[in-house]
Amino acid sequence: MSHDTEFHVHHDSDAAVGRRERLGVRLLIVADGAFLFGMIFSYFYLRNLNAGGNWLPKGVKHYSATSAWLVAIPFVIAAITHRAGLRSKQARNLTSVVTLLALLVGGFIQWDQLAHMPFLLKDDGGVVSFNGAYASNWALIAGSGIFHYFLSAFIALGILIRNRTTNLPEELDLWRQRTAQSWFTWCAIAAILTGITLSII
Amino acid sequence: MSTLDMTSTHSRPVPHPKRSLITRLHMGTGVVVGIIFAALAYYALKSSLLTYTDKVADPLTPHTDNIVLLGSMFAWSIGFLVGIGAFIGPWRWMIGKDLTDEEILYMAGDGQGIKRYFKYCTDHKVVGIQYLVGVMTLLGVGGTMAMMIRTNLARPGGHFVTATVYNSLVGLHGITMIIAMIIVATGPFGNYIMPIMIGAYDMAFPRLNALSWWVLFTAIPVLCSAWFLGGIPTGWTAYAPLSVQAGPGMNAFVATIIIFAVSTAVAGMNITTTVVAMRTKGMKWNRVPIFVIGSTISVALAIPAFPTFMLAMVQTGLDRTFNTGFFDANMGGSGWLYANLFWIMGHPEVYVILIPGVAALMEIVPVFVRKPLFSYNAAIMGFAGIAGLSVLVWAHHMYIAGWAPSLNGPFMVTTEMISIPTGLLFLVLIGTLWRGKPWMKLPMLSVFAFIWDFLIGGITGIYLSDVPADGYLHGSMYVTAHFHFTLMGAALTGAIGGLAYWYPKMTGRMLNERAGYISFWFVQIGFNVLFLGMFMAGAEGQPRRVMDYAAVFAHSNMISTIGAYGVGIGMIILLWAVIHSWTKGTIAPMNPWGAKTLEWTVPYPVPLTNFDELPVITSDPYGYGKGK
Repeated sequence: MSHDTEFHVHHDSDAAVGRRERLGVRLLIVADGAFLFGMIFSYFYLRNLNAGGNWLPKGVKHYSATSAWLVAIPFVIAAITHRAGLRSKQARNLTSVVTLLALLVGGFIQWDQLAHMPFLLKDDGGVVSFNGAYASNWALIAGSGIFHYFLSAFIALGILIRNRTTNLPEELDLWRQRTAQSWFTWCAIAAILTGITLSII
Repeated sequence: MSTLDMTSTHSRPVPHPKRSLITRLHMGTGVVVGIIFAALAYYALKSSLLTYTDKVADPLTPHTDNIVLLGSMFAWSIGFLVGIGAFIGPWRWMIGKDLTDEEILYMAGDGQGIKRYFKYCTDHKVVGIQYLVGVMTLLGVGGTMAMMIRTNLARPGGHFVTATVYNSLVGLHGITMIIAMIIVATGPFGNYIMPIMIGAYDMAFPRLNALSWWVLFTAIPVLCSAWFLGGIPTGWTAYAPLSVQAGPGMNAFVATIIIFAVSTAVAGMNITTTVVAMRTKGMKWNRVPIFVIGSTISVALAIPAFPTFMLAMVQTGLDRTFNTGFFDANMGGSGWLYANLFWIMGHPEVYVILIPGVAALMEIVPVFVRKPLFSYNAAIMGFAGIAGLSVLVWAHHMYIAGWAPSLNGPFMVTTEMISIPTGLLFLVLIGTLWRGKPWMKLPMLSVFAFIWDFLIGGITGIYLSDVPADGYLHGSMYVTAHFHFTLMGAALTGAIGGLAYWYPKMTGRMLNERAGYISFWFVQIGFNVLFLGMFMAGAEGQPRRVMDYAAVFAHSNMISTIGAYGVGIGMIILLWAVIHSWTKGTIAPMNPWGAKTLEWTVPYPVPLTNFDELPVITSDPYGYGKGK
């Protein structure tokens, strides 16, 4: 490798790069948090407004609070197992499998809930619409949950593969796993917050 | 440490990683893959939805049409990014085969000449130039639309364009210019100059830096497609439920904002991280150049602000496609929800636009009066105070809408309070100029223009923040004139000053000064004639966003149109000066202004890693008059 390449690519220590990446991810979490704040604001704003009594029209079925928490639990498990993997190098292979599995199961549950929404309305022409503002908000929050699961599963799969791959920069990889921990923890917090939100129907 | 050849950065042999896909991808492959993705999404969605509607013997509804269009637009964006190689890095990380050092260097565009501007190049200087060209293009398109609007309004009963086209012109001019203004300073200068100013060898996340530009690039054709889909009839604010009911062109608006918000979040995160974590040794916070501080506060403000606009657009998109009811009162929704989400972003966004322009001018003044910046701390307090208060003022846009009238008073107070930190910015500029002998070069003219323009913009804003006065002025041309005086008078004036100041560093040549002067006076005189005329019309009661008006407003509108042509001529001259000087301008010395900040210590072309050895800072950047 040439001198130039060395200078451009390996200018900073792995720890410096790792800390920088962690800060960057935390700033993206701030942006994601603002989006979540907006969704929760929308939920409670329309709930309290209850325009025309159409927050949850009479007779419309809704998901129970349990279903919201059912989606949150896999995120919490993923955050815990990933953290355990960070603490124990020996357990890392196992914990990364559990983390990925938890995220896949959670993603599947969320997808299944979206596929079987009980509050859709179909008119004579076959056009489907959401019956009430609760239904609209629920679908949006569930959609953002799917996005969180998809992105987290991508990260967890990468960690799983990399844990089994040799010749990778070990210290930088460890920093990246710590950075991933920030994301997983945030996803768990976001899932809990949406769980609380969707419990107040 | 390294021994970079400082003079031959662009002539070194191109590092060519063998059998790497990266070497084969560029903008052309991006466009091809983007079109393929869009076409596949279009036909796949259309056929599946037709199959569905066939079952119920019903043709495609507007909602299903919207699904097809929005899906195709996002598919274009993702396809382009796939085709240009944006996802190679994350993919290779996931499969445990990290990019090699040669590949990383290749992606930095080292030794690739002009080709690197059309690739997924991670060099922050390349990204800065890409943003500069992008901004100029957007300003050209948005400005042309403004000229068409003013031509139509020159006389009552004007029929230069049809009513539908006029409506679209107003909306598209608005959103094009807002996007251009948001990136006008932080895009080109924040990417090209700022890392050098803080003594960094690159941005914190070079690949994300390229991503922020190319994501934004994919939004441009999407926005342009609105013309061919019937335009956007809502103005740039896209209020619901009008935006939900609007025709297919509205999908382009929705997709553009969502894509742009992603670009902004990535760019904001990158700039903030770079400044926080990559300042060179000795550059304590009180030694950071004020442009860097201003830009960082601006993008840091954008990080939490823009996602709410993105959310409003996601909800609009869902209402348009899947029949949700966020903004439809019949379904439990509310237009006020949109207004809140939009303005929670919308007002901070004004300051996201404004602060970097002012900060660029603060960077210029000490250099050209050879005095230290007057009260650096006041400048920071001003920026921070504006940023802090800007998130507490959004409902002043909704006085007349009837949302929470009991909050009008508190929002009036917070809005009027924002003039205090804004006043600090004036204090810093005037304090620095005080008893100085300005070197009246081109960049310095923008400082004086800003003080005049932004003073008018700021003071007229106080009237609009006042609830009773707003009751009369709301929705009138007065509002249009006010926000042009703030956005164009501050942000664009600051950016033009910044361009004149940093042009030698970015291009290696001096900007044609005579053309610059002529352009300046055309723009400034035209601008003031244009919008002072508009204040007159607004104060007399002419509503905004209308294509025709009563004869009583004829004089003020004619005055405005004449002013608009002045601005147009001035901007064309500036564009000519930029292009001509880039190729035929006088070769610039390394530090033509004798400035003390770090970007003037590196030669042109700036080496790939900016510095041979990272500098160590021992003094503040404005130590003029304190000896060497």
